[in-house]
Amino acid sequence: MKYAGKYRELRWLIVLSRPYLGWMLAGALLATGVLLANVALLAVSGWFITAMALAGLGGTAINYFTPAAAIRGLAILRTAGRYLERLITHEATFKLLAGLRQWFFEHLEPLAPARLQYLPGGDLLSRIRADIDSLENAYLRIFTPALAALLSTILMGGFLLFWSPGMAVINLAGLLLAGVFIPLIVLRAGLNSGQVLVQARAALRQRTAETVRGLAELTLFGNPQQRLDTLRRENNDLIGPQRQQNRLDAGGSVINTLISQFTWLGMIVLGIGLVQAQRITGPELVMLALFGMASFEAVAILPPAFRAWGETRQSARRILDLVDAEPIVIEPIAPQPAPTRFDLCFDAVTLRYPSSAKPALDAISLVVPQGQIVAIRGASGSGKTSLTNALLKFWPLVSGDIRIGGQSIHDLSGNTVRGLCAVVSQHTHLFNTSIAANLRLARPDATDDELVAALKAAAVYAEVAAFPRGLETEVGEAATRLSGGQSRRIAIARALLKDAPIVILDEPTEGLDAASEQAVTDALRRLIAGRTALIISHRPKLLTLANQIIRMDQGRITLP
Amino acid sequence: MRFSPPTAQKHTRRLDHWLRAEASTVRNPLRATVAFGGINGFLLIAQCWLLAQTLNATAIGHQPLESVRGYMVGMVGLFLLRAAINYVGQRLAFEAGARLRTNLRARLFAKIDELGPGWSRNQRSGDLATRIVDGVEALDKYVSLYLPQMQLAVIIPVAILVFVFPADWVSGLILAITAPLIPLFMILIGGQTEKLNRQQWRSLARMSAHFFDLIEGLTTLKLFNAAGREARLVGRIAEDYRQETMKVLRIAFLSSMVLEFLAAIGIAMVAVYVGFRLMYGEMHFLNGIFVLLLAPEFYLPLRSLGSQFHARMDALGAVDPIIELLQTDAPPRPAIDSTTTLAGLSMSNGLSDIIFDTVDFAYPGGDPLFQKLDLTLPAGTVTALVGPSGSGKTTLGQLLMGFLQPTDGRIGIGTHDLNTLAKKNWHAHIAWVPQNPTLFLGTLAENIALDPKPEGHEDALRTAAKNAHALDFIEQLPLGFDTVVGDRGQGLSGGEIQRIALARAFYKNAPLVILDEPSASLDPESERLITTAIARLAKNRTVLVIAHRLTSIETCDQIIYLDQGRIIERGSHPELLERNGAYAALFRAYEQAAP
Repeated sequence: MKYAGKYRELRWLIVLSRPYLGWMLAGALLATGVLLANVALLAVSGWFITAMALAGLGGTAINYFTPAAAIRGLAILRTAGRYLERLITHEATFKLLAGLRQWFFEHLEPLAPARLQYLPGGDLLSRIRADIDSLENAYLRIFTPALAALLSTILMGGFLLFWSPGMAVINLAGLLLAGVFIPLIVLRAGLNSGQVLVQARAALRQRTAETVRGLAELTLFGNPQQRLDTLRRENNDLIGPQRQQNRLDAGGSVINTLISQFTWLGMIVLGIGLVQAQRITGPELVMLALFGMASFEAVAILPPAFRAWGETRQSARRILDLVDAEPIVIEPIAPQPAPTRFDLCFDAVTLRYPSSAKPALDAISLVVPQGQIVAIRGASGSGKTSLTNALLKFWPLVSGDIRIGGQSIHDLSGNTVRGLCAVVSQHTHLFNTSIAANLRLARPDATDDELVAALKAAAVYAEVAAFPRGLETEVGEAATRLSGGQSRRIAIARALLKDAPIVILDEPTEGLDAASEQAVTDALRRLIAGRTALIISHRPKLLTLANQIIRMDQGRITLP
Repeated sequence: MRFSPPTAQKHTRRLDHWLRAEASTVRNPLRATVAFGGINGFLLIAQCWLLAQTLNATAIGHQPLESVRGYMVGMVGLFLLRAAINYVGQRLAFEAGARLRTNLRARLFAKIDELGPGWSRNQRSGDLATRIVDGVEALDKYVSLYLPQMQLAVIIPVAILVFVFPADWVSGLILAITAPLIPLFMILIGGQTEKLNRQQWRSLARMSAHFFDLIEGLTTLKLFNAAGREARLVGRIAEDYRQETMKVLRIAFLSSMVLEFLAAIGIAMVAVYVGFRLMYGEMHFLNGIFVLLLAPEFYLPLRSLGSQFHARMDALGAVDPIIELLQTDAPPRPAIDSTTTLAGLSMSNGLSDIIFDTVDFAYPGGDPLFQKLDLTLPAGTVTALVGPSGSGKTTLGQLLMGFLQPTDGRIGIGTHDLNTLAKKNWHAHIAWVPQNPTLFLGTLAENIALDPKPEGHEDALRTAAKNAHALDFIEQLPLGFDTVVGDRGQGLSGGEIQRIALARAFYKNAPLVILDEPSASLDPESERLITTAIARLAKNRTVLVIAHRLTSIETCDQIIYLDQGRIIERGSHPELLERNGAYAALFRAYEQAAP
């Protein structure tokens, strides 16, 4: 679903709440009940003590059981209602947010890797975590209280109308001012600083991270004092918009209080006249005065909540912007079944990245017969990796075609194509879980024996078996508990388990020392045996595995 | 009800204590906030009194509006005065929090600077950034709202009691008895919440780490068609997190329910008792309505404190890693006050020989890496360190730069002991080209000249870029030297980043160069450009090359083969080949592999 135009974030948030609408409405109704119970508690109390005082003075009888019981009942109702209301709205909101995280991740997958390449992982993490978290503000502090305020305003107005239309009008005017007018002003005034605030926080985070990462360079080349000054300045850039927001919050709450005070004072003035005219009694005057005072609890929390809308909207926007991005490769409408032959044919393939004027692949034609191994060498930026991006359907072709076993990949789904290919690259990721779980990514139902066989073929089994926990060894974040060569060979074992007919090796020995390189190359030799393989590398040792070596330069094939 | 174990409570007390000590640095604005809040409370009592008079006169005495005009004018005056005081109070509270955050961050940054590169190498920069930016933010509400509210929650109710007791002692008693129950229950429930809260923080950290891992490996998941499976896992983790959060909230809501309940029942009891006392003629209506008006105000500061309770929870959750960082011990400093400077040393007369004299080194808690290491880097020569990873090549460079201190022995710069040199002065003599250079957010010019020379900056910049073979590609960029680069060098290739780092070294023009070879091999063209630039940089300078691959070290004056911290071979390239030892074997393996 796409959201565009004005109020895009607001509409999205409302649509999201649809499955939980019942719960949210129940929460809003309870909140209304709580507000009304509170108003009634004070109003009845005021009426009660005044009537009792008059009864005492006049010596008249009075039914004090009902109001006394009502006062206690309302006190309990208010407390229990508040507890239930918070429980229900929070439960519903957090269910919604938990679902949203999965939904976000599902939408991220089609965008990888092409659309995500310029976004650092930390940025995506803060979207799936902090940004989604901050959406709770919309439901818990804006939608539900605003609805409750609206409902209770209507009901309270109806009640006041019964006693005095004038009072009803004054009260309604006050509530509208405090509950609609002021929050909207604060919202508008806070939008800009809210946005600046989010950016300033991100900037400070980034500046801090790079300071830690580059501390050695700063110490040797830079001026530490100057760096501290920069950081101080960026801290102040964060405090500045926060100060603005504090002014708005303080101003909003002070003005709201003034509006409420002048409103109930106005109601009292009116009420005194009504008492004089004997239209209402003394106890009723006190009741209405306290009613007016308590009624403003309905709108008290709205200005700061509306002020925070700027931040909430920014978070919603960051989520939507990403999710609404079109996947860069369009899937076929009627995907064909997987081919049964696995020769590769690149036919005048042209591929261009939006950021550059020159095509990355310029009418490349290349045939890899089934079971043959072709190596491609060339300088970085010559287009070698673009070849795999095109084959794996990570990037669309501008023109030309790639055929697997005679079947154009245009007519195959991305999942089918990638199911046929096993990839080992410099960037192959091992997840922070056990070695076994990492291997089973390729084949979820693999037995331990199969895992061992794959590790043996990848020449890493002896080392894995030497770990105290063997296959169940946790690899750590970014596989830090393994050496570079070990994690590369485990990635090869994983590719072996996948048992795909086509193998792509994209600089698989990059960044390894000479000894590891030898071990990894030997493991790769076993991986590609009998399969159609494409090797991308300028490491001579690896090139010896190939039946044919071609050279690429500037997106073209130059003969070996 | 189970209680959190005493150790956890002790820990929390320690954190509370630390936070309060921090807050005392902004004592004055906080005191002013409390003072303004207190005055506001007294004015509120006056306002209630005026309102009680008004209602008494009109509802009981049936007097006309004119007779209460004075009270009304008084109330309007109080409204305005209280509004002003309230506004100033809120602003002061913010400024207190802002100043505290600024000071704390400044201290954290200074601490990072003090701990230095020897420490920062092993840190996760993203994690630290969150700690300093978001962690410090989380302390704000504790200081600016919770702490003042703590005091106001005592001051205002006590002030109100002072007025309620003379008016009606029964109501006074009701209020005085219910009020202490509120903090009591909150403490009882609070202990439980704290434990759960800590669990929830852990669960949040777990969720973040898991999500980060999945996001980083998204392409890999896609290659194995496993993203769907993992999405369900994301859903499950998120659901677990939700349940943890709700567990904390249920208890927190329970505690605020107790609070609300006591407040509501207190008001109700006051209303009912006052009613009956009025009926029996035991008190005057004026006092009755005055007490009833004050009753909600009596509980309000306590209720506000309850709603600030999660501000305290947030702060306690975030403060642990901040304290940990501030209390990290700086690397042991040499006993001698390092004020000696290498005066008079310049490029023209060259740097003195650098001598590692029986140097021992061990990482804290680790096995000794170097034992009695002897090594001389003759002035004006090029020395290469080779050996398997983990053999101590990088550590040796760190020792020479003074980022790590030898556990024993000395590093001599000519006749000086490195330990006796002022760090800043020593650093001024070193240029370093790291394995993975950091590009800072800023322009290319700012990245090359991290500390611009006051004179001749422009020329030096161009010359440095030219010498590093960086000028050509920089000038091809539309904005040239003003091109903004940042976080992990977006838009620049590995070879280009490497050449920016070389340009930094040329710009600095220091007599000692430490060169960490890039671990990834670059494309042949980049490699060639960098090799010639390095040769140019090596001229007339003392150079230490930390060689991960054996590119172009054949021309080095001296090659040192390190294995597990021991020098097992040293000599020139031809000498070592002739010896046919470890280096020769390594070189042959590399030869075979080289393009």
